[in-house]
Amino acid sequence: MRTKGSARDFWARLQSIDRRWIYLVVWLVVMVPLIFPFRIRPKATPPVEKLFEFIDAMPQEKALVLSIDYGPDTQAELQPMLVALLRHAFATHHKVGVLAMVLTGLGLGENALSQVASEFNARAATHDDSIVNGEDYVFWGWNTPYITVMLGMGENISKVFPVDYYGAKTESLPLMRHLKNYADVGILVSLASSSFPQAWINLAQTQFGVKLGCGVTAVSAADFYPYLNSGQFSGMLGGMKGAAEYEQLVEEGMAKAGENWRLRARGTEAMSSQTAAHLAIILFIIIGNIAFFANRRRKL
Amino acid sequence: MQRRIPLILVLVTGIFGALTFFIPHRTVQAADESMRNDVQRIITAFSLVLGVGSIVQHHLLKIRRKAEHWQYSYVTIAAIAISAIIGVFGGLDPARPGVLPTHIGSFSFHIQTLFTNMLVPLGATMFSLLAFFMASAAYRAFRARTVEATLLLAAAFILMLGAVPLGRMIFGPLPSFAEWILAVPNTAAKRGILFGVQLGIFATSLKIVLGIERGWLGGGGK
Amino acid sequence: MTGLVMIALLVPALGPPTDVAARDVPNDGGGSVAVTWTASPDSGIAGYYVLRQAAADSSWDTLGFAGRLATEYSDDAATDGLKYRYKVVAASAAGNAESEVTSPVTSSPQWFNTDTTPALVGTAVLIAIIIYFIRRARQDRNLFIRRISGLDAVDEALGRATEMGRATLFVPGISGINDVATIAALNILGEVAKKTAKFGTPLIVPNADPIVYTVAREMVKESYTTAGRPDAFNQDIVFFVTDQQFAYAAAVDGIMSREKPATNFLVGMFYAEALILAETGASTGAIQIAGTDAVTQLPFFITACDYTLIGEELYAASAYLSREPILLGAIKGQDYSKAVIVGAIVLATLVALLTGLPVLRYL
Repeated sequence: MRTKGSARDFWARLQSIDRRWIYLVVWLVVMVPLIFPFRIRPKATPPVEKLFEFIDAMPQEKALVLSIDYGPDTQAELQPMLVALLRHAFATHHKVGVLAMVLTGLGLGENALSQVASEFNARAATHDDSIVNGEDYVFWGWNTPYITVMLGMGENISKVFPVDYYGAKTESLPLMRHLKNYADVGILVSLASSSFPQAWINLAQTQFGVKLGCGVTAVSAADFYPYLNSGQFSGMLGGMKGAAEYEQLVEEGMAKAGENWRLRARGTEAMSSQTAAHLAIILFIIIGNIAFFANRRRKL
Repeated sequence: MQRRIPLILVLVTGIFGALTFFIPHRTVQAADESMRNDVQRIITAFSLVLGVGSIVQHHLLKIRRKAEHWQYSYVTIAAIAISAIIGVFGGLDPARPGVLPTHIGSFSFHIQTLFTNMLVPLGATMFSLLAFFMASAAYRAFRARTVEATLLLAAAFILMLGAVPLGRMIFGPLPSFAEWILAVPNTAAKRGILFGVQLGIFATSLKIVLGIERGWLGGGGK
Repeated sequence: MTGLVMIALLVPALGPPTDVAARDVPNDGGGSVAVTWTASPDSGIAGYYVLRQAAADSSWDTLGFAGRLATEYSDDAATDGLKYRYKVVAASAAGNAESEVTSPVTSSPQWFNTDTTPALVGTAVLIAIIIYFIRRARQDRNLFIRRISGLDAVDEALGRATEMGRATLFVPGISGINDVATIAALNILGEVAKKTAKFGTPLIVPNADPIVYTVAREMVKESYTTAGRPDAFNQDIVFFVTDQQFAYAAAVDGIMSREKPATNFLVGMFYAEALILAETGASTGAIQIAGTDAVTQLPFFITACDYTLIGEELYAASAYLSREPILLGAIKGQDYSKAVIVGAIVLATLVALLTGLPVLRYL
């Protein structure tokens, strides 16, 4: 008799638990994985795999062009994509060109390039292994209006960006001798928080036939699936999960080539936090429902 | 008469605004643009004066009556005054300084610095409250009371699990099923609501342009 | 000599683009000419240069460069009334190939955009339906509209606040007066203010827009006068807080926590701060009636509030609460318009499925 009574109390109390316990649990669940990240190994979904394999199989003379079409407010989801793509390109010895369509993205691009270049240069044994601005990558910078940039790059990239971000004359850079326009580009990946990827399709692809890929925020990923299905995008990274999956693929690819560098993968780290938080909320809902049904049965 | 003038203005500008959709001629479009860009901006700028006047009056009243928490009213008024002075006299662009110096050594209190270092983090803090509130709201409200509630619950589970790598580990096609729920039933429902909303906007705008709906004049529907 | 001839025969001449045509872009404000062509038969070209000649001059200006897959180009820098001629040049590493020159063409503005004809027809039909019902409502005062539980609950909610001796909080959304949701919210405010004046319940209306603040203040003052209690209105009731989204949410949360109103109205346009307001209100134990047309925030309100007006139920509220025949008539007109639209969609879908005609484009 006594146990039944206290059980009823327990479920009733649980159903009307003080909110602050819930807040405490949510706080712990989000904080702890950020401090002690546990590696959840996301298995890559087809859109991410398609992009990875395309870049992997690109001929050596074709360059990878990355367009930074986002700003600081969405960098949590998109910056890990930029870093992972750069690592992939440098590890497979592809040339990289980076431009920004959003002015505030310039700083983000600079950060990513210096971070990845220093990662590679710290482990470089010879000059060939090291990553040098102007030889292995070029940062063209920002220009406007975007229509002029997208169309002009089909004719001559150096005309659109006469000087690069650091002030050097673009035409004089060794890399630019083999990177004149879209014909020398293997794929252009647009990392965007708005509808820039569609503009790239409308302007660059329909006129010049350049291959495109995109990396977008999770909320807008649904809008771009039709283009992925029709083949206009050769691959897509959606949200932090997409970034984490790509990081995973790059790490596996580099490990296969013998480079087990254990680099910082921010997308994957954030995924552990997000997974834990989602699980916590699911658990809350389940517990709440058990309490609800237990109470109902007691009342009957 | 006081009511007639605004009503006539609304009728004329309403019909003109609708016509610009159908007439691509440049003179019509130019008039529409100047209406939107210039006239509306001027009105908004003046209305800001009214708003600031309201806050200041409201808080001065609180201080005078020593209402509860009147000390915070001092903080509010001080904040308004300081930001206004720095913004107006200190220059908006760090490259073009104004009359007032906005830094002491390397400590800058330029209006942009204040915005980036105070307002933006405060806004982000409020925004992140959503994470906690979502958890407590979900706990309280997601009870399988009825069939519909249970369906809602099941959909929520599928979507939450589909958004994290764990979902794929539990059940392979789960993430694609989650995407399907977002792309098909969810979009259909949203579009249905949007249809009704757009029609409501259409009807209400029509009522306002024709002068049937007069609530916005500030005096009831008569 | 034969050697040179052999080489000339072996190296194929680059095929020029053919069927070059230029015409004035229709349905625009002038200043645009569209140049179209059929692609050069050779692959390996980089793209096409489009050149223009003003009829008076004899020099050719290069307008721009189009990609190898392009077959049209828009000249947006034409001056209305001047005659222009165009030609297209295929460019490749091996050389260029020019097309024929087009006949002279002028650009001009149009007065009516024929692409918008379906919209014009649709608008006329909808206006006719709504006005018909408004007229009918003037004659027949007993038009039926279904019950909306959120609006039925308004009286009960206000009664609760009066019994508990606590205030009623009314948040008219954070959008401006040009947003129809805000106008609908203010209409509800007018009705709510009449009842709070009658019952003697304190009312709190914080605003996030200066213009909305002035309109709200006038509305509430008028409502209090209509209810016979002009003395009960004071400047404290309606006030402006801030137009920053999260600062406003923080301020309203503060009011909810300190004043602990017994009834919260969250009606109007809301963005991300919707859940913050609704959940804080729920934590103070208030009864909450929400209404918004922001589809993204509806799920939050439905979860955290007791009653939610979804989308157009918000617009119907003023008609519902005031029972004014003209407003009721407009609601009926809206509903019949919706029926017409749904019917058109179903019909067009069937026609498209059965015959394959591109009818859906006109919807």
